[in-house]
Parts: sequence; structure tokens; C-alpha cells
Amino acid sequence: MVADAYDAVIIGAGADGPVVAWKLAEAGLSVLLLEAGPFHGNKQWPKPHEEPGAEASSSVDDLSGELLDEQFTTREFEMVNNLLFGPADYKRGFWMRKFPGDGAILQCAGVGGTTLHYTGCHPRAYPAAIDEQGHWPISYADLIPYYQELEAVCDVTPAPVTAKEELFFRGAAAAGWDLIDEANVTRPGYRPQPNAIRPPDAMLHVDAGYDGDYSAADLTGHTLGVCDISGNPHPRGAPFEEKAKRASNISFVPLGLRTGNLTIRPNAFVTDIKTKPASGGRPIATGVTFRDTWSGDVESVAADVTVLAAGAIETPRLWLNSGLPTNEWVGRGLTIHYGDNVMGLWTAADLERTIGQGTVDQFQGQDIAARFDYPGLGMLQTVGTTPGIGAILGFGASAAGFAFQHDTTGEPWDTTGRLAGRQLKELLAGYRRMLQVLVVSDDHPHRRNGVTVRRGIADEHGPIPLVNYRPSQADRVRRDKLARIAAKILRAGGATHIHRSDSPPTALHLHSTMRMGKVVDDGCEAYDVGRLFVADHSVLANGLGGPNPTLTGQAVAARSAAQIQERYFT
Amino acid sequence: MIQQLFVDRLGRYLYEKGRLLGRYVRGGRTIHTIVTFRAAVDAVIPRTPDLAAELGPEHVPGGLEIGLAEYLISYVNHGFQLGLPQLGPRGTVALARPVATLLDAAALKLILRGDHTSPPSSTYVWPLISEDDSSPVPFLRAAGPFARLHPEDRLRAVGIIDEIDVEISRSEDELFEFNGGLVGQLVVGFAKLIYYCEWQGYEDYELPQSARKFTEDPGSIQGWAQTGYPGVANGYPALRGYLGTEDGPLGAGEIWTTVDDDPDRPAYIREEPGQFRENDYDTSDFEEVVPEETR
Repeated sequence: MVADAYDAVIIGAGADGPVVAWKLAEAGLSVLLLEAGPFHGNKQWPKPHEEPGAEASSSVDDLSGELLDEQFTTREFEMVNNLLFGPADYKRGFWMRKFPGDGAILQCAGVGGTTLHYTGCHPRAYPAAIDEQGHWPISYADLIPYYQELEAVCDVTPAPVTAKEELFFRGAAAAGWDLIDEANVTRPGYRPQPNAIRPPDAMLHVDAGYDGDYSAADLTGHTLGVCDISGNPHPRGAPFEEKAKRASNISFVPLGLRTGNLTIRPNAFVTDIKTKPASGGRPIATGVTFRDTWSGDVESVAADVTVLAAGAIETPRLWLNSGLPTNEWVGRGLTIHYGDNVMGLWTAADLERTIGQGTVDQFQGQDIAARFDYPGLGMLQTVGTTPGIGAILGFGASAAGFAFQHDTTGEPWDTTGRLAGRQLKELLAGYRRMLQVLVVSDDHPHRRNGVTVRRGIADEHGPIPLVNYRPSQADRVRRDKLARIAAKILRAGGATHIHRSDSPPTALHLHSTMRMGKVVDDGCEAYDVGRLFVADHSVLANGLGGPNPTLTGQAVAARSAAQIQERYFT
Repeated sequence: MIQQLFVDRLGRYLYEKGRLLGRYVRGGRTIHTIVTFRAAVDAVIPRTPDLAAELGPEHVPGGLEIGLAEYLISYVNHGFQLGLPQLGPRGTVALARPVATLLDAAALKLILRGDHTSPPSSTYVWPLISEDDSSPVPFLRAAGPFARLHPEDRLRAVGIIDEIDVEISRSEDELFEFNGGLVGQLVVGFAKLIYYCEWQGYEDYELPQSARKFTEDPGSIQGWAQTGYPGVANGYPALRGYLGTEDGPLGAGEIWTTVDDDPDRPAYIREEPGQFRENDYDTSDFEEVVPEETR
């Protein structure tokens, strides 16, 4: 049951909310964590997309690896539809947002948030992006203790090498880049992904002759089948907390529930932050109103401290829809790591020579396990995909029209743009001999980019987020330079055909719409509303230089939890 | 200007025609919507008889053979919503019919510009009609300009929708943009996702997950057969090792292979996992590779 009042109410159980929930609950505070989507792998909701189930969960005994195994089939279409940002009820469509440009926003709803889809990538920010770009009010050194603690909690280790990673590393080395073995990256080079995924069992070595069923009865850790984007509940048969991919539902939620001080209520969409006037003219937050996504029933809960952790789109939307004091940076400064896809295709004979087998077999290994860093430009990472996601990611969208409309003479790629027709089928026939590289650039925060709302363009939860994004010329140049480096690495690795998507702005990583130093202070409390904290990727003051943001978002959230205790509960 | 007026009038005509054709309805979908979506699917993932000799007979069938257009209509009609259907007027936003109308408007614009490569013709509609359709007549009558285009010209028409790009900026700091990109995403991007994913393997995807039956024969899924994807697996014995050097903290133990034969610091794939080094860092000489000078 959900009570009428808590010490802290947290809005959103994505990557970051569970970190704050765990820290505050561990300190002895009563905490309510509200989540708009469902709770998978929990006995209170045996069929989370089919029946409303119970109201809330407060016990670690509710967590069930068996149910997670059943619900996370890893079939990509089913999992995309279950996890993307929408209500739990399978009969209903996604919640509407206006997309940036021709692209899309890829966020999930559910306890675990977008870490349900993420690939476990947990690198630190580039130190220069924090200390030298002039956006951050705190230093990189302030984050290091939090990085170290969370890396230990999430089992972050250098990712294992399978055929696709070896192919990329060989290309990067042949293109003249160095291996980086450092946690704090200040120079360009290639390295294994620091992944929050337990390493595979040694018995999965190619020479070990394993022939079992990959269940927990046999082994621990990642089972080396690409399915991290599709939820990855492996090893099958493992208890909830022993799943290999340390998404926030697996890593932080059990820690929080074990304290006995945390209640999690899924299927609860917060529509209003309540405030009351206070001395000095600065209102203070007193709690929230939320709506049950199955019944539409509205409830309110009071709290001494309110924490916004709904992500870089919904957090500013909720602020704006709650009529909180305006600030010229609320919702503004969105960075999305303006990205692209560059794909290499090899001949079987070339692959035999390079990696000793005639196929890349991108469906083996961890989804994203090899990377290239370039502080000042961004990063590249290999992506193993199952064919549906691979087709839409690599060939389905482009800002440059269809491939047949482009002459690529003089370019480092052979084709560019959307692929369709015979050309698409012919290229995808080589799926087992191809490898995609995701380009992730260091786009800078510009005030014009972000989230706005307009009266009248609304859904059941109020005006919908209108997401606007136009990269600057410098953002475009950074992305282009990285795409060219990617093409050279693939070519140096022996690829005979290279395709560049020239993707439209697509938001896989979303940050900096409620920036620290602009909307919140360096303890992440709102300048304009007391007792209201923001603890999600929206407070990041920029795009971290390009590295995947999950770890830094969580580190800042853990730091905010310490600030909340210091300011209001000592 | 005159052309724009012409397009507007034709748009209205098409809308009216669509309403009339609403009489020919199958499962809540007009014949016009069906034939237009079939035309899009056929352009994106066509039947390709000439790939048989090059790649094998399994590469011949396309999206129409597995009923992709019909499912895409259903997906587009149920994929987005604005609220609980039992509470107020904000239910599901059925997008298929407006998308089909927009594809026709784009086809007309392409034709008016003279950017099409083949004259529109009912010849291109016939391949969109299957033996399972009771009669070709309603399809031939309902086919709009988009379905009458050569498949490659249909893609050019989709490209025209992409060009619709309205940007309202009151100042450098204010931006509100809108464009037609969603249409291409739905009929091109989602068509590919659904074709190459596992969708065809369900007996009935419309059932709730706990009641869905999934094939035990991954090779029967056309998109998987055409990519060589073996289907969902619990895992693979695919571990080669861990990247590392002779003296660094990454990777230890026996060497599997050398990936970088740099004489100063060769990099290997080794047996045991390692850790990243907690290094000192100095960022004082950092310079932006591409300074943020222009907007």
C-alpha cells in the first residue's frame, strides 16, 4: 500500500531514480519511488502487460528471476513493443511525443527505465568535458569517488572479445590508433567497453567445447548471445539479482528494497508537483499528484523532499505542466549525442584471413563491447544487432534521402542514405558478414534545443513534450569527422563495402535539459523551488564529451542523495 | 503557386475519394489504405526473382508475400495514443489513412515536378493484388497516384514528404520544428523492422504475450532466412578472451592472438579479464577539435 506521506518521493525508476531511492532508504528515510511503466519480474505483477496487478511492492522477496525469464523473451519486436515509452497495457500504443527532426526518441517505461534496453555500457565522462568546456559547476574529481563506488556495485569490467570486437580492434590498430587502458580518458584510442555486465563464464571460450543450455545451473555471467537491447535476462534460471546485465532494476532496486524503507509503485504517471509559498518568495515542493495508468484514478502523496528523476524529456515536461516558476533554461540545452551509423561488409575470404572464420556473426557476444574514444569529438562503438533492429538502425532512416539518389565518388563510403528495394535485400543477405559502428558525437548544449509544451497539444497527462533539436554547424562537423574515422577503421579492417546512414537526429542518449548551474544548483536542488531536487540525466551540464551517460547520471544522482540528506535530514 | 493550388485541390479530391472508398472496407481499413500500404511495402522490400540465381531461391519473396502491408496498417493504427479509451475522447490515433493520403499527395507533387522516371500506370498496381483478393477491380479503382507509380518513384515520393520541414524560430534561442519524417519512418523504417524481426513467427501477434505461440522453426521466418540469422539463442561459446598488453592492467594469461603488432606496445587478446587503470589525468592542454564558433 502507498501511504499518504513519505520523507522523499522520487518520480521515475529509470537509470537514476533507483540510485537515489537506494541511498536515501539506506540512510533510514521512508521513500516512495513512482514509475509510469510496469514492474517486470515482480510477483505482484505476474502479467504486467495484461492485468493491472497489485498496487505497490515493498519487499525484495517480490522479485522473481523466473518471472523475468518468462517476460523477457529477448525476441526483439515483442521486447521493443513491451519496453518503449508507453503504458503497461499491451493493447494501447506508445505515449506521443513530437520527435526531433526526422528522428526518434528511444526511451523505455518500466522499473529500470531505459536501462532495460541499454547495452550495459558504463564508461566515465571525458575529464576535459567536465573540467575544460566551461559548462560544469563541479569538477571531474568530485565525481570520481561516486564513479568508483557505482562501478563496484554494477560490476563494471572491460568487455569480453568475440569475433566482432577482434575485427574492430584489428581495424583500429591498422588505422594507426593506440590502445587505451585508462579509466579517465584524455586522448584518442580504442579499448574494450567498460560494461556493467558480469563477464562470461570461462567455459564459453571457443576452445572449451561447451555444449550446454547456458542456464544458471551451468554458468554465471553474460552468455554471449546478442540480446542486451532486448532486455537480456540471462542466465536463465538465475535469481533476479544474479542476472548478468546490471540494469538499474537488477543492481539498485534490490539494494533499495532490502532496506525495508522503500516502496515502489509502478503504473503511476506523475502529472503535478505540488508546492506551497515559503518565506523569501521561493516556493517549496510538498509532494506530487499521480494517475494510475490502468484505471485513470488520481492520487496525491506528500513528501518532505521531492526528487524529479523522470528523464531529460519528462522531467522538464512535468516542471512546465506543473506551472513551476519559469527559468529560461528549464527544458533547454538538450544534447542527444547527435549520431550516425557506419556499416562495414566483408567477404568471407577476407574474414577468414583476418579473424579465422568466414562470418562476423554480429549476433554473438555482448551487444556493444568495443569502443573508440576521441575527447573533443565523441566516440564510436560497435553494435551487434538482431536483424530487425539492425535494419531500422543502419538502413531505415536518413537525413539524406535514399541511397540510389547519391553519388559517393570521393567519399570513404560506397553508399549513403536510406536503403530500399533490391539493394536493401542484397546487402542484408550479408548480415552475417557485416558490422555496424555507432557514431556518437559531442554535441554541445544550445538553448534553442529542448522540450517545450503547448496548451492544446495534450494527452491524458497534460500537454505532451514537443522536442526540438537542430545541431550547430560545429556539431555537424564533429559528427562528420567521427563518421570518417569509423569508415577508415572499417576499411583498414578489410571491409569491402561501407555504408553510411547519415542518420537524422535520433535520441538514444538524452541529457542536459535541467542543467546543473542553470536550473539546479551544484547539489541538484532547484534554484526556484525549495526541497525539489532533480536527479537524472537532465542535470548533466553537457553531453560528457560523448561517452554513454548512464554511469555519470547515476554518479550525479548518488551525489544528490548525499546532498538531500545533508540539507534536510541531518 | 498554381501548382500548390492544384496539389491542394487534388488533396481535397483525394480526401473525398478516400471517404467514398471507405465503403470498401476490410476490417476497418479502406481498400485505398490497403493498396497504398502494399505499394509502399513493395517498394521497400520487393519480390526479387533475379536474386535467386545470385543468392538462392529463399531471397525471392518480399514483404507482400507475408502480409506485411496489412500488419503495418494495424501497427500504425494502434501504435500511438493520447489517453485511456474509456476516459474521454483521447483514444488511439489511427494514422494509416492520413499516411496513405499524404503518400498520394507526395506522389502528385513528384509528378507535377516531373521528377518521376516512369509514367504512372495501373501496370504497377497489378503486382499489389494477390490471388487471395476476391477481385482486382476494387483495388484498381482505389489505387491512387502513389500506388500507380513505379516502385522506385514511390521512394522518391517518400523523399518529398521528408522535405516537408517547417521551422518556426522566433529567435536564435527559440525553435519549433515540424516535418513529415514520421511518414517515412512508418512506411520505410517500421516496414524493415517488422520484416526482418521475428513478427512472422507468431501464430497471432495480436494476442497477449502470455497467449502468443511462436514458431519452433526459425528458418520459416522469411526475413531471418534471407539474412542467415539463426534465431534467438540462449548463448554462444564465442569467447576469444580480453584485450590487453604485456605490462598493462587489461587482460592477463595466455595469448589468443595479436591484434596490434606495434613494436613499442603490442596488444593481444588474452585469457583473463583485467581492469582499467585509475590514472592521473591532466586536461589543461585540451583544445576543442571543432570550436563552437558557428551556430
